[in-house]
Amino acid sequence: MNAMFKPAPDAGVRPPTRRALAKRETREKIVAAARALFIERGYEGATIREIASAAGMSTGAVFASFADKAELFAEIVANDDRDHLVAMRAAAAEAKGADALLAAFRAGYAFHLAQLPLLQAAVSVAWLTEEAARERARSFQRPVVELISGVVQAAKDSGELPARTDVSLVSDMLWDAYAANYRALLNRGLDLDGLTAFAKRQIAVILAGAGASAAA
Amino acid sequence: MSGVRQAQKAATRARVLAAARDLFDEVGYDEATVRAIAARAGVSTGGVFAAFSSKADILSQVMADRVDGLLEELERLAPHLRGSTADRLRSIFAIHYAFEMRRPRLFLAHVAAAYHLGLEPGVTPYGRNRRLQQMLREIMAGGVERGELRKDADLDTALQLLLAAYAWNYSRVVTSGADSQVLTDAMDAQIGVIVHGLA
Repeated sequence: MNAMFKPAPDAGVRPPTRRALAKRETREKIVAAARALFIERGYEGATIREIASAAGMSTGAVFASFADKAELFAEIVANDDRDHLVAMRAAAAEAKGADALLAAFRAGYAFHLAQLPLLQAAVSVAWLTEEAARERARSFQRPVVELISGVVQAAKDSGELPARTDVSLVSDMLWDAYAANYRALLNRGLDLDGLTAFAKRQIAVILAGAGASAAA
Repeated sequence: MSGVRQAQKAATRARVLAAARDLFDEVGYDEATVRAIAARAGVSTGGVFAAFSSKADILSQVMADRVDGLLEELERLAPHLRGSTADRLRSIFAIHYAFEMRRPRLFLAHVAAAYHLGLEPGVTPYGRNRRLQQMLREIMAGGVERGELRKDADLDTALQLLLAAYAWNYSRVVTSGADSQVLTDAMDAQIGVIVHGLA
């Protein structure tokens, strides 16, 4: 049984009703069951019926929480994007400059390597429509680029990178490298050490070129 | 097979590829069905599957045919490129963008299909084009010879970065409606950083 949510006495927030809590618990059960099935069977392979069964409820109950499989999948992906970012941030916080970037990239790859089928499904869904691609950019790409920018800006401020460094340009290129390596992961089954080795060299070349002026 | 049969087969193939190219560009990869492609080509779906193993196979062939023509032109052009290593690379990518952006949806379909793993095997993943990679390597090797790039410059990594930047710039088409010029400008700046990193 989940622990009951108890707000601090002076939180000024009404505690959620029992009904709201029950709804949330149901939703979390469905998401957990769906996640396991998507990992096991891929997006196409998992059905709402199987998800409902694994969650111990009727398909009707699932449809009360989610309009369809796509919406359920989107929630899982959104959760993952947040967790992925948290992992990258935590790793980046331990170091500076190139080391911080490498640690962040490695943490990001490790996160997805642990649940590869979900990543594959997410990536293929992301390119299905322009709308989906834009959503992916917003949910996955932008926060990571912001994280990278923070590290690059700090390196510029501390003098580790030249004063001329175009932070936005360098950050975009670092993102490109980070994202492009996912293709190596998915197409060639590169492992974590292999991905990290690529990333290390890519980061090195980009940062070495960070002082390029626009006229170069 | 008789000469006539062979010619017919080739004609069917060409019609299917032309129809597919147009349909992918109009409605995108997912929306385009083999049935619709067949109808537009004026052949039966059976006829399509006699020449191609899947929709993904058709897309692969469409892209390969288009790129073949482009690469031939580039390979003729490459030995005559002048200027800095960065400028030579810029020329190559500017030409690519101008070419692909004549049919942006088709190109996005190609990139997307490269990610449809497990669903449609057999599509040449984007960026695998050996002739393009070779051309880029040769330009950079020339830069090393001319002393513009370090002898120990990491050309393998530079190539990965060039292709990554080239591919990801296309996402700007989707997220902000970028045109060929915007992509080229972005690539120019990225090439500047990469080459500077090898100098």
